[in-house]
Amino acid sequence: MNTTGESQVNREQVGGAMIGHEVVEVTVSYLPAPKPFHHVYGESTVIGTIRLDAMQFFGVSDHQDRDKHEFFVEFRGRRLTDMTQTLEGLLGPNREGAHFNLIEQITQGAAAWVSTTRPSSIG
Amino acid sequence: MGFNYPPIEHWLVPKNLFERTIEGVLPATQHRRESGALWLGAREKIAKISAVLFPQGMGVEERRYSWRVSPEVFGAVTRWAAPRSLCLLAVVHTHLPGVPSVLSWTDRAFGVRVPGVLAIVISEGGYETDYRRWGWYVFENSDYTRFSGSEIASRVTVRSLTELEWGTADANGVWT
Repeated sequence: MNTTGESQVNREQVGGAMIGHEVVEVTVSYLPAPKPFHHVYGESTVIGTIRLDAMQFFGVSDHQDRDKHEFFVEFRGRRLTDMTQTLEGLLGPNREGAHFNLIEQITQGAAAWVSTTRPSSIG
Repeated sequence: MGFNYPPIEHWLVPKNLFERTIEGVLPATQHRRESGALWLGAREKIAKISAVLFPQGMGVEERRYSWRVSPEVFGAVTRWAAPRSLCLLAVVHTHLPGVPSVLSWTDRAFGVRVPGVLAIVISEGGYETDYRRWGWYVFENSDYTRFSGSEIASRVTVRSLTELEWGTADANGVWT
């Protein structure tokens, strides 16, 4: 157990035994939102859970109309694609905290962009 | 859990925002291509725009009838904006001379669909310098609604003393 180091420790009573496991302070920013999403997760939490929680917090969702709208999380400039990866696996031993960005991707045909486009002359 | 986007009743903009934005988009217009900018600032009841970024280069497509910004560029902008407590208040893009400053269906579908975010179409590729003649839209109730001339006058205030930060953005970062 480490109470003074980089990680916090959460204690949990399981079957009469005290088990210590580390937690991570997670922050997720979304560019149109004035405040980030903050939450503390256990180190075994998978990225997919954080993505969904952040999406719920910001009131957005994956959906499909004529185009496909999906949200992904980015960490240190890298798009995370493995939603089963844990915080522990992503961060390694240095788990003081993690800052993610939530970004929308809109896929029209084969190309994926976030943009305004105007394919016709109607404006 | 849940997030409430503060309603925006009014936008305060620095006096040089429009001039700076036009300077940033005109080069593409001169090559018969659309271009655009992102306006950022503090989102409050009275939103204050304090930065303009021009997505250019890697991750950006400027074409005759489209302006496209990749998610990677939005990621770079987010990494720059978050520590400064700035958020996206408006996505601004040009329509070339002769094309109405009206949001197309695709503009609407591909815009940032968050309540209160502005989508602005710069008329005449930026040769129209009067911002009141641009197409001003706000996203509300699941779609974009166009401001009338009187709404622009009553909800947008130009302030001469407000500072403006500006720069460019691509998939690798933001340069100011």
